[in-house]
Amino acid sequence: MIAIKDVTKKYPNGTVALEGIDIDIHKGEFVFFVGSSGAGKSTLVKLLLREENPTYGSITIDGVTINNLKRRQIPYFRRKVGVVFQDFRLLSDKTVSENVAFAMHIVGASKREITRQVPRVLSIVGLGDRATVFPNQLSGGEQQRVSLARAIVNNPSLLIADEPTGNLDPDTAWEIMKILKEINQRGTTVVMVTHARDIVNYMRQRVVTLDGGRIVRDQERGGYSFED
Amino acid sequence: MKIRTLGLQLRQGFSGLWRNRVMTLVAVGSVTAVLLVLGLSLLTIININSLADYIESSVEIKAFLEEKLDSSRIETIGEKIGQIQGVREIDFETKEMALIKYREQLGDNDSLLEGLEGENNPFPSSYIVKVDDPNTIGSIADEIAVFEGVEEVQYGKDVVDRLLSSTNLIRVVGTVLICILAFISVFIISNTIKMTVVARRKEIRIMKFIGATDGFIRFPFIIEGLMMGIIGAALASGLVTAIYNYFYRSMHSSFGGVFVMISGYLAPYTESLYNTSVILLGVGMIIGVIGSGISLRRFLNV
Repeated sequence: MIAIKDVTKKYPNGTVALEGIDIDIHKGEFVFFVGSSGAGKSTLVKLLLREENPTYGSITIDGVTINNLKRRQIPYFRRKVGVVFQDFRLLSDKTVSENVAFAMHIVGASKREITRQVPRVLSIVGLGDRATVFPNQLSGGEQQRVSLARAIVNNPSLLIADEPTGNLDPDTAWEIMKILKEINQRGTTVVMVTHARDIVNYMRQRVVTLDGGRIVRDQERGGYSFED
Repeated sequence: MKIRTLGLQLRQGFSGLWRNRVMTLVAVGSVTAVLLVLGLSLLTIININSLADYIESSVEIKAFLEEKLDSSRIETIGEKIGQIQGVREIDFETKEMALIKYREQLGDNDSLLEGLEGENNPFPSSYIVKVDDPNTIGSIADEIAVFEGVEEVQYGKDVVDRLLSSTNLIRVVGTVLICILAFISVFIISNTIKMTVVARRKEIRIMKFIGATDGFIRFPFIIEGLMMGIIGAALASGLVTAIYNYFYRSMHSSFGGVFVMISGYLAPYTESLYNTSVILLGVGMIIGVIGSGISLRRFLNV
């Protein structure tokens, strides 16, 4: 699913954010990336979304080597990857269902597909009854669920979650994790970058620990063993 | 882009105008202001041009004929002049007409001309030639001068040269002025529209992450820019018409008949207003589109 080969990322100011990263993630896996601030987690997300290009090495997702993509090909790549962020990033002037439908409009889905698919994903994330509400009328957990619904509405094979529980209280965070787990069980590969020790320890999934831009530990069914 | 996407995109563009109505108002206001200045300058230059055209078209060549030519020779000369390229109009002036004209010019002193009628008439007959382009008057005059039977050619060389150089200068200055104004308009408007884009950069970023193409993101902004340009141009045209109309009426009431006479040489009222409005609309649409296009480029690089 994801093959990262000997990836190094140096920023123009000289900072080396990632160095010699080698990792393979298989289809259907659930992988945590953990590490303290500055370990290179955000850079990794930027590379996976093709927001940045690696200085050396290559990244292949779903058979596409994304550092070779031309500018105009990037949008089509991103449509195959769902993404959620710590700060939700919803369009505030659109309702819940409009936010989700918008991702389908972008890929040129028909009205029929949209009216069928949007309620379906909203019920997956447990927001079936909040379709006509605006984001600022929702709690943080509900907003993150909208952004999850938007991320999966086009059936991506990969979901990237960048600190999805970072702004949420523990109970709400667990609800989000349950949904992520459910999405994963439906066959979507999930890559989650996080600080949340409890969550990582409880989920018993693969954990990749980053420190100073390098992979220092990669455990199947691991725990959050990094001290920060 | 698919048709159904296009419909959605258009709606996005229009709702964008309303949602960001404060910025829209500022942008439309600046479009209007700039186009108003542009429109008034255009009208001024159109009118100056029209006056210059009138003055230029009144310059003419006088080709004096030799004495005692028979009428068929005179006719041949006329035909030859008519065949020269760039000649618009030929009038024949007989000796008698020349005398009458001169007498009229003398007014009360016309007694000086007594006894010069008929056989004694000293004035030569002549062809009066008008040309299409006053810049060619010199070369046409030279051509006529060598015709057999033509005694002498006059066209007020100094006056024509000076006139042409000043009307040409006015045209060049006018064109340069319009170009500068158009450039400033694009600058001001693209900056104003940039503010509306900056206010929505978060939205653009989100769209980029969901996988929207640059074209998809750009389209509603282009529609917005276009609409701002059209609205601004419509307002500016309205204001220009009102101001021009006021100018005409106040000139008329202050100067009366004199202004009516002068206005005959000005650009036709309705036509020039119509042309100015069409130009403003065109410029408004173009700078609206270019303005929003330019200002978006920076934010699409995610």
